[in-house]
Amino acid sequence: MITKYFSKVVVKFNPFGKEAKVARLVLAAIPPAQRNMGTQIQSEIISDYNKVKPIVKVTYKDKKELEIDPSSMNFQELANHFDRHSKQLDLKHMLEMH
Amino acid sequence: MLRLGFMPRWVPRNGFFAFTDTIGVHKRFYALASEQLSRKTVKPLESRKTFLIDTYKYLMEKSSVVLFVHYNNLSKTEDHHFRFRIKQTGGKLTKVRNNLFEVYLRNSHLPDPCGPAKRKEQNRKHPLLPLLKGPTATITFDDTNPQQVAKLLKLLQSAQDKLLVIGAKVENQVLDVEKLNDFKTLPTKTELQSQMVGVLQMLSGLGLVRTLESGSNVLYLTLQSHHDNQKPKEDVDTSADSKPEEPK
Repeated sequence: MITKYFSKVVVKFNPFGKEAKVARLVLAAIPPAQRNMGTQIQSEIISDYNKVKPIVKVTYKDKKELEIDPSSMNFQELANHFDRHSKQLDLKHMLEMH
Repeated sequence: MLRLGFMPRWVPRNGFFAFTDTIGVHKRFYALASEQLSRKTVKPLESRKTFLIDTYKYLMEKSSVVLFVHYNNLSKTEDHHFRFRIKQTGGKLTKVRNNLFEVYLRNSHLPDPCGPAKRKEQNRKHPLLPLLKGPTATITFDDTNPQQVAKLLKLLQSAQDKLLVIGAKVENQVLDVEKLNDFKTLPTKTELQSQMVGVLQMLSGLGLVRTLESGSNVLYLTLQSHHDNQKPKEDVDTSADSKPEEPK
């Protein structure tokens, strides 16, 4: 997963639910140094599904927001979903450099 | 045997905790040699995996409060900082290997969790199993003291996403985060016990004791009357056999 262009990540999950694995892997995929470089990471533990739904929400550096429900997929699918926009930003970044 | 030096002192070898602790150091090797014959493990006895499963058994059985946290890749300084702060509250942070911890949980009801077990004997629906997805660590407390837990939860709130509490085991009960927040507001166990004794002595203690006793009293009286009813019949039988009745 390309996390370089994330400016804010919100993860809400129930640790006993089936979405726990994907949600926790998302949290673990963000390198610790990135917190100091300005990426905000927010996490919330859900205990009642009626109040809050599990969600992974990413805000990119160009302020585009993408969100997805982690309970219906595996980590690779989720990573592909977020990488689609990251790759566009990557390409733009490359073109600006040269 | 060489590996003994690298292992933490507080984890006795081979899961026979009370046994190896009580005998002298020079006799310990003797005891180990005899245990090697009796103990049957899936992985070699001296292997890291066997050692870790024994360690997890010790952690879970010795400590009455075990908190499970999501260990979100900390840098080295952060790791040192949190370990130090957790130690100040009286807990101990241990990173766990998920697969080996799962093996322990599945076999925790068996006499030796390292030993070979059939799939049917294993407990594959242990309530703690879903917590072992992704990087996990445990924080263990020897005593059940909700104030310590409250202090720790306050500390971990400052850690935000770095150490997330995801569940807990308190004296054979599995708690989720919401229940844990209720738990931390309780007074300590000794306080509760003294309150209970106070209630029993002061208020309608006598009435309560009588109520609790009444069930067994009624049972005794019923059995006694039944016994008395049977007695004359037995007297007839014994007189026919001309044997003296033995007191029961």
